[in-house]
Amino acid sequence: MAGVAAGRRRAMGLRALLLFALCAAGARGLYFHIGETEKRCFIEEIPDETMVIGNYRTQMWDKQKEVFLPSTPGLGMHVEVKDPEGKVVLSRQYGSEGRFTFTSHTPGDHQICLHSNSTRMTLFAGGRLRVHLDIQAGEHANNYPEIAAKDKLTELQLRARQLLDQVEQIQKEQDYQRYREERFRLTSESTNQRVLWWSIAQTVILILTGIWQMRHLKSFFEAKKLV
Amino acid sequence: MGNKIQLPFPVVLCAALLLPGAAGFTPSLDSDFTFTLPAGQKECFYQPMPLKASLEIEYQVLDGAGLDIDFHLASPEGRTLVFEQRKSDGVHTIETEVGDYMFCFDNTFSTISEKVIFFELILDNMGEQEREQEDWKKYITGTDMLDMKLEDILESINSIKSRLSKSGHIQTLLRAFEARDRNIQESNFDRVNFWSMVNLVVMVVVSAIQVYMLKSLFEDKRKSRT
Repeated sequence: MAGVAAGRRRAMGLRALLLFALCAAGARGLYFHIGETEKRCFIEEIPDETMVIGNYRTQMWDKQKEVFLPSTPGLGMHVEVKDPEGKVVLSRQYGSEGRFTFTSHTPGDHQICLHSNSTRMTLFAGGRLRVHLDIQAGEHANNYPEIAAKDKLTELQLRARQLLDQVEQIQKEQDYQRYREERFRLTSESTNQRVLWWSIAQTVILILTGIWQMRHLKSFFEAKKLV
Repeated sequence: MGNKIQLPFPVVLCAALLLPGAAGFTPSLDSDFTFTLPAGQKECFYQPMPLKASLEIEYQVLDGAGLDIDFHLASPEGRTLVFEQRKSDGVHTIETEVGDYMFCFDNTFSTISEKVIFFELILDNMGEQEREQEDWKKYITGTDMLDMKLEDILESINSIKSRLSKSGHIQTLLRAFEARDRNIQESNFDRVNFWSMVNLVVMVVVSAIQVYMLKSLFEDKRKSRT
C-alpha cells in the first residue's frame, strides 16, 4: 500500500518537474544587463504598415542570495518608440514584465528604447537588472493559434494563410528595398555631380586668382617705380 | 481514497503560462537586433542554450567611422570561444553545451565614434522548444476532406514555407548590407560638402595673405631708403 502511494507521488513529482521544465524552456531567450538609469535602444528597420511586437521580462539581482530573483514586483520599464522622422509613436510605462505593440506608418528606422523607471537608488543595490527581450516584426508577430481558433481554420487553411502572410511580408520588404535603393542612387549621383562641379570651379578660381595676383602686383610695382 | 490526482498549484500555474497570450513569452528561435554602441563602451548579450543545439551568430557594423568592432564569444564556463578584433562583420556557428553563452561587442578602442551594430542569432536543434512552437496544431478545428492527397499537399506546403523563411533571412542580410553602404555614401556626401567649403575659404584667404605680405615687404624697404 505504501509502495503504491509512493509510486503515485513519484509520478506526480515527475509530471510537475516535466511541466516546470517546459515552463523554464519558455523563459529561454536572449537577455542583457542594464544599469539603473541606463537606456538601451534597438533599431528596427521596417517597411510601412508592419506590426512589431516586443516582449520583455525583467529580473533583479539579489545581493544577499547572489541570484537573480524570478520577478520584480514594483519595478517598471518605460518603453519609447520613435519613427524615422523622430516623432514618438509609443511612450508608455509597463510593469516588470510586458508586451508592447506598434505598427509603422512610414518605412525606415524605428528606434525602440527601454529604461527602468526606478527612482529609488536602494532598489538597485547591486546595480544590475536582467532584461529578457524578444522583438518580432511582420508575419513573425502574428499569433497563429489565435488566428486558427478565431477563424476556425483547418490545418491546410492555416498553412496557406501562413504562406500568404510570409509572401506578403517579403513583397513589402522588396518594395521598401526599391525605395531605399532609389534614395541611395540619388545621393550617390548628387555626390558625383558635386565632386565634378567643384573640381571645375576650383580650377577656374585658381586661374582667376593667379591672374588677379599678377595684375595687382604688377600695378603695385609700377606704382612704386620698381619696374 | 479516490483515484483523482490533485495537481499541485505550481503545476497548474505552469500549465496556465503555456497558454498563448498569457504572461511569460516563448521567444522565437531566430532573432535579430540592431543597436547603437556609444564610443568607449562595451555591451554584452547572453543566450541560454540546451545541450547539443547549434548557435549561429552573424554580426555586421552598419555605421560609425572605421566600421569595425571587437567581438568576443564566451562559453557558459567563461572560456573564450571566439575573439575578433576590429572586424566589420563576422559569422560563427558553434555546437553548444547547457548554459548561458555570452557575446560582447567592444567599442572601447574608439574615443569619438558611435557604432551601429546589427547581429542575428539562429538557433537550431533546440529540442522541446521547437515542439512548443508547433503547438498551434492543437488549436485548429475541423478536418480536411481529401485524406489521400492531403499528405502530398502538406509536404509541398511545408517545403514552400521553409524556402520562404530562407528568402526572408536573405532579405534581412541584404538589408543590413544595403544599410551599411547607404551610411557610407551619406558620410561621403557630407565629407565632400564640408571639405569643398574649407578648400574654398583656404584658397581665398591664402591668396589674399600672399598679396598683402608681399606688399608689406616692399613698404618697409621704401621707409628704410628715405
